[in-house]
Amino acid sequence: MSTTRHHINRTRRLAAAPRPRRLEAVAEPKPVRKRPVDRKAATGQSSVIPTPRPRRALLVVCALTLLLGAFAGWAHARAAAERDVPAARNTALTDVARTSEIKGRTDKAVADLFSYDYAHPEAARKAVSSLLTGKAVAQHQQLLGGVLAQARKSKAVITTTVTESAVERISGDRARVLVFADQSSSTTHGKSGTAYAGAMFAVEWVRQEGRWLVSGIDTFGR
Amino acid sequence: MPRTRPHHLLRAALVARPLLVAALALLLVAGGFAARSGVSWYRAAHDDSAAYAVERDNALSAGEQSVQNLNTLDHNSLERGLDLWESSTTGELHSQLVAGRAKFEEQVRQAKTVSTAKVLSGAVTELDDRAGRARVLIALRVTVRAPGGEASDKDSRMLGELTRTEGHWKLSALGQAPVGDTSAD
Repeated sequence: MSTTRHHINRTRRLAAAPRPRRLEAVAEPKPVRKRPVDRKAATGQSSVIPTPRPRRALLVVCALTLLLGAFAGWAHARAAAERDVPAARNTALTDVARTSEIKGRTDKAVADLFSYDYAHPEAARKAVSSLLTGKAVAQHQQLLGGVLAQARKSKAVITTTVTESAVERISGDRARVLVFADQSSSTTHGKSGTAYAGAMFAVEWVRQEGRWLVSGIDTFGR
Repeated sequence: MPRTRPHHLLRAALVARPLLVAALALLLVAGGFAARSGVSWYRAAHDDSAAYAVERDNALSAGEQSVQNLNTLDHNSLERGLDLWESSTTGELHSQLVAGRAKFEEQVRQAKTVSTAKVLSGAVTELDDRAGRARVLIALRVTVRAPGGEASDKDSRMLGELTRTEGHWKLSALGQAPVGDTSAD
């Protein structure tokens, strides 16, 4: 028991002894003892490094590092949580440039894909081959195959115009646009005049290798 | 001469206190990360587009629900249906519905129809977050059951205008997209 107490006392003394010196060194940078480092400081040159007590400085630096590291981690998590709102994953309207780009592409693609001029059948073929991908090819064929055959026979001109469109969602390389379109067909003979029909459907886009392609045409089960 | 001094300083420091220099380097790195993620957090917290996206979705779901409400009516529970119509609308549309209620009620009571509506798809075309105004396109399928006959489906291309009143989006105008020459603009 007594040896332990002695030991504790000795450690305390040892621990307490250097403290005043340490404080002195920090509080009074003016040289009392003539040391080479102090002389340098006195002549206006910056001292190399304060020689004493590396451990305290080290501890302070380590503590600061931990603190900053912890803040970095926490702030990163907060930023991620802040951005991870489900609504924010859909950038329709929030990304103005992309929204208007997709809208513009849709208006043009619908006009190209659903219009037909018997005098220039290659235009329709070109639109199909350059704009459609995946299941959209079959969907387009199903929607327009019969109409096109009819138009070819009766030498009709079918014009489709988007009257209203709105981007439902854009998430990364995918987008979906709701379209209201009008289709007019007229034969050159003017037998039946011009007929109008309204349509509504959604166009699905996918970006492949930097190109936006129509990947689906949703006619809502019609 | 003065140019070489920092270099000498660093070398001297490395020799005298390698651990402290290493710790300082780590501190610098941690400081960099802290600053970067701090800025990122600030930006995320002040990102208006997230709030705008939330408001867009609020407007759309309110728009879809309201359009569905206004196309749903059961002659057996006319009062409840028409109350819902009125609570889904505001502004001019609301006034029109209130003004025409009695007459309309009478018509439906005689026709004995049951209408149900389903929103197929919807999207916001415009959203003014500050003014609290929005425009929506809604693809709608309405099923009408007449007393003796079978149900008939009809697809409608709806254009709606929404106004935010007391924090809630309500329909202030509703119509069908016209077909033909007139619709072009």
